This record gives sequence, structure tokens and C-alpha cells, in this order.
Amino acid sequence: MSEKTTQDKSELVKLQSAGELRKTMDGYFSRLREAAETGSRKIAWCTSVGPAELLYSMGFEVFFPENHGAMLGAGKNADKYIPTAVAHGYSPDICSYLTSDIGAFLQNETPLQKSGFKSVPTPDILVYNTNQCREVEDWFSFYGRHFKVPVVGIHTPLCITDLGPEIIKTVAEQYHRIIPELEKVAGVKFDIDRFRETVGLSHDGCVLWKEVLQKAKNIPAPINFFDSAIHMGPIVVMRGTQYANDYYKILLAELQERIEQHISAVPSERFRLYWEGMPLWYRLSNLAKLFAKLDTCIVASTYCNSWVFDDLDPADPFESSALAYSKLFIVRSDTVKENVLDQLMQEFSVNGIIYHESKTCARNSNNRFGLQNRLLKRNGIPYLEINGDLNDPRCYSEEQSIIAIETFIDQLSGQIK
Amino acid sequence: MYRLGIDLGSSFTKGVLVDENNRLADVFCVRSGYNFNNAAEKIIAHFTEKHEVAFPVYTCGYGREQIKVPFISNSELIALSKAVFEIYKRSCSIIDIGGQDTKFIQVNSQGQVEKFKMNRKCAAGTGSFLEEIAFRLDVTPAEFTKFAAEATGEVKINSFCTVFAISEIIGMIKNGASLPNIILGIYNSIILRSSELSLVEGYVVITGGLPAMHPTIVSLFKKKYPESDSPEHSQFLAAYGCVLLNTSK
Repeated sequence: MSEKTTQDKSELVKLQSAGELRKTMDGYFSRLREAAETGSRKIAWCTSVGPAELLYSMGFEVFFPENHGAMLGAGKNADKYIPTAVAHGYSPDICSYLTSDIGAFLQNETPLQKSGFKSVPTPDILVYNTNQCREVEDWFSFYGRHFKVPVVGIHTPLCITDLGPEIIKTVAEQYHRIIPELEKVAGVKFDIDRFRETVGLSHDGCVLWKEVLQKAKNIPAPINFFDSAIHMGPIVVMRGTQYANDYYKILLAELQERIEQHISAVPSERFRLYWEGMPLWYRLSNLAKLFAKLDTCIVASTYCNSWVFDDLDPADPFESSALAYSKLFIVRSDTVKENVLDQLMQEFSVNGIIYHESKTCARNSNNRFGLQNRLLKRNGIPYLEINGDLNDPRCYSEEQSIIAIETFIDQLSGQIK
Repeated sequence: MYRLGIDLGSSFTKGVLVDENNRLADVFCVRSGYNFNNAAEKIIAHFTEKHEVAFPVYTCGYGREQIKVPFISNSELIALSKAVFEIYKRSCSIIDIGGQDTKFIQVNSQGQVEKFKMNRKCAAGTGSFLEEIAFRLDVTPAEFTKFAAEATGEVKINSFCTVFAISEIIGMIKNGASLPNIILGIYNSIILRSSELSLVEGYVVITGGLPAMHPTIVSLFKKKYPESDSPEHSQFLAAYGCVLLNTSK
């Protein structure tokens, strides 16, 4: 229940590290822009959980179209671009990162123009891993055809239950197989020591990122999902570089300080929730405020935890990359997903879980095959399903979702008393 | 002194007057229109004309915070559950069909919400679905009931989308289907749609504006769920629950 006179609790305390985050991200985009403008370095486009370490080790500047898609969504512009892609034959039911990104490209617009880019940086090669979905291959193929540059990829088996040596071997072999094409484009020979070093940096960055996320185990949590969805930028686009690692040391220190000073992400945390599925990029801030107003902190999420590749090992860079990128939540079977979710829900002491069923992202919508009911039966933690989409706001009914969220918190309130 | 509960819904704003013994003393309803405050003012004016009413008023629904008089807003699902439990005093499954939402709520033996589900972002199976079809067919709710009683069989409405459902109905008319049979099909498609929300267990209570205006829907639900009921003033229960929620505290 809320009274008209209630003090506005939706005022969130911003993380001080946000300034450093901006500098770190600005640095990344500056390096990309310089490469695009001067040709000083080759540019590879990579999927968000693709072989970034391999690309950085071979001297590429790496651009991530999914990050670009999220920028379009967060900028509330995706619905301006999606119709253009649809008019070019891309269904409105497929990934709205893809349709908004291709639509923006066809309209020759990008949020990067605000940072001095003329357009998105032209790729010399596009590299994907289908571990997250098959759509990335079609997405990259569009640009491959347009720019007449090579598109190479790793095809990871889907719905993995037992991640055994056969899968590791087949994925590791594919890493080896794309190297000659990368060498040809980069104009340098592959250097195993450089790769080991990059894998080592990526491992360390992932461990730091994991520590950041795990700080939210503290009650009250010093960071919530909405912060993490923004602060995950460096681990997505600079994984395997010192830049990401330097940033997460700063963020970690601030979170530790918050814990010591009893500063919480949500001023009066009463309920702790788990977020399953993609963020709604165009409503991130509204949802952050809504949950804060309801004294609710989203303390953990599948999405942010998906960039924890702590199995990476410089001693065995190929096999450990294959392991780390095939262990990813999204590529696992529902049996494994159920176990992972249950464990995280226990570890983070959550009272409830929200499943965001994203209209255009089946692989990131894990309430479609009854998992939500099996998990409820297993751990008794209530759930709420929200229908929306990662980027396409036309698939989301805000008023209806607010009523559902408020009711869910009231429901928890009745059970927790 | 009476207390006032107002459910500011997408189609109608429903007001209830509750006496000092928590009894429902009167009900009044207006179209919500585009200005929730205007709708609420009409409700308040109606009741204050004859009765002394205490403020704040207790609100729920889409426009729950869009009024200018002092209010305390509530979740409409929690409020509805409270009112239903007050009436039946038992665990039950509530199926509520409003103007824009279809809701399923499972209430436990303590009157707490155990589980709830709302329709996906689509108006099929809600009051708006029926309103649109009624408008296109130029048939009033009362005529809907009359026609449904004359049905000799049922035709199936398959489309999820309201607009496509209308095209489907036009096709059926073209192929000689009778209006009573089509209307029965429309009612049954609403019931089928609501049954997708969740497994319905135990005693069933049917509420909301659509069942209140279409008694045939209630009869069909009762046929599907023999252990069921639809209470009087069922579209006013969320407003009533708002007052009850703030009384028990």
C-alpha cells in the first residue's frame, strides 16, 4: 500500500565509481574510433560471449554489436529502428538487438555519433559464437555481405547437460580453426604467449566481476541488478584487457566501503529478489525506482552472472576457453539451469524471483518450459512472470507490469510477516 | 461515518460505500474515460450527497494514484482477494475478468495470496475483447445474453487477436453460422483463454465487470467448475477490499 504523502523512496544513491566507469568506457570507444579513422588497428566485431580474448590477443580492436543494441534500447530508440529492419525482411519476432541494430545501420544512425563516430566502426572481420543463440550468425552475416568481409564462427552445441570432454574438444578445435582467417585479416601471426596473457587477464577480470556481484550477498546489498546492468560494460567489451580489471578494482573497493558504512543500493531494503532474463533496457531506470519505492532490491540475476568466465586458464587457453564459454548458463539444459538458479537464489537469500519473458529472446526466457513451476516446487520461493522485451518497448505493458510487481511484493509481504 | 473504496479501472471506475461494521452499504459506477480524477469525483459526489464520508479514500486500479483528494492506494489483486475471503472465508481460486485484464488469484485458507497470474500483453479474453466485438456486431450486452440462450450449437473462435477474431467472425457469418452460435463461441473462447492462466484448483469464485454484465459467462464457468460462485456486486469487490485492507490493520 502506498500513501500519497509517503516520502519518495525511489531516490537511489548513485555509485561514485560511475565517473570512472564513464572514463573507462570512453577510453574503449576512443580506441575504437581511432582505429576506425586511422586504420591503425584492424577491427573485429564479436558476439558478447564470443572469443574476445583471441581477438584482443591478435591486436584487434573489438566492437560488440550486442552492446550497441543495448545502447539503442537504453536510449529508447530501438522502436524507431526496428520497423526499418522489418521492412527489409527481418521478422519483428526475432532478436530485437538484431532488428534495432540493423535498422539503425540502414538509417545510418548510431548513438556513437554523439561520441564523434561517423558511423559504427567498419569491421575487417566478424566473429561469433552460437553459444548464446543462432541468430548471431544471421546478424553478422548481414554485415559480412554488406562490408564484403569474412564472417567466422564457433558453433557450440545447445542445451548442454553434461559438459564433457567431447564438447570441450569440438569447441576448442573450432577456436584453432578460425585462427588462419584471423591471421590473414590481422596481418600478424598468432602468438600463444600473447593469447595466454589475454586469457589470464580475462580470467582475473571475470573473478573481479564475480566478486562485485557477490557483494550483493550482503544484507542489505550495496549494489543491485540495475547498477550491475550498467557497470557490466567493461567485462562485456574489455574482457581480456587491463582496462576492465582496473575498473573493477575501483568498483569493488567502493562496494566494500558501502558494506562497512551500511550503505545499501535500495535505501530501505526489505525484500530481495532474483531477476531471471534480459533487462528491459528502455525501462531500466523506471524499474529501479519502482523496486526501490517498494523497498525491494534485485540482488542477483542470470544476466549479470553470465559474464563470469572464471574457468579461463592461461595454462590451457584453448580448452579452458571452450569450457568457460560452453559452461555459460544460456547454453545449458533446463536441468542445469534449474540447479544454477536454485543455488544462486539460496546464496543470495532471495524472497522471490522474477522471470522476464522477453518476446524476441527465447533463449533468455526461461519460463517457457515449466522451469518456474519445477523450481517453485523445489525451493518454495514464489515467482512472478513479466511479459516484455529486451529492446522493443511495444512488447511491454508498463501499467500492467507495475500492478503485477506491486502485487507480488504485497504477496511476499503477507508471507514474510 | 462511511468509508469509500474506489477501483479506478481501465473501462469503469467503481465506488463502494462501507459502513462502520464493514458492510457494503452502496455501490456506484461510472465510465473512467480519459480523466481518472473526474471519474473519482463523480463517485465521491454521488456518495457525499447523502452520506458523510471519511477521508482518505482507498483506491486501486490503473488510476489509483491519479486523484486529487487524499488517498491510500492498494494492489487491486490483494484487495480483491481480501474481499472475496471476507465473503467466502475459505481457500479458493479467483478468476476476475475486467476491461483490460484477466486475473487468476489463488487464495489460501488464511486469506493470503499464494499465487497470481495476469493475462499477457493482449486484450483477447478480456472485457475490451467483448466490447469491441459487440460494437462491430452492433449487439448490446443484454442482447448477447439473449442470443446465447438461443444457441443450438457452438462455433469455435480460434484467433488470439481481437481484430482477427472479428475477421474470423465475419467469415463465419458469411459461411452461414448463426449469431447465437457465434456468441456462444465467443463466450467459450473467453473461458478458454482464462483457463490458460493457471491450473484452477478448489473452489472457484468468478468476479469482475465482464461476468457481472454477462450472466451467461457465469453459467458457463459454473458448468466448467461445478464448485464455483459469482457473488453479488462482483465488479465492486476490489474497491470493497481496499477499505477492508485498511480496516483490519
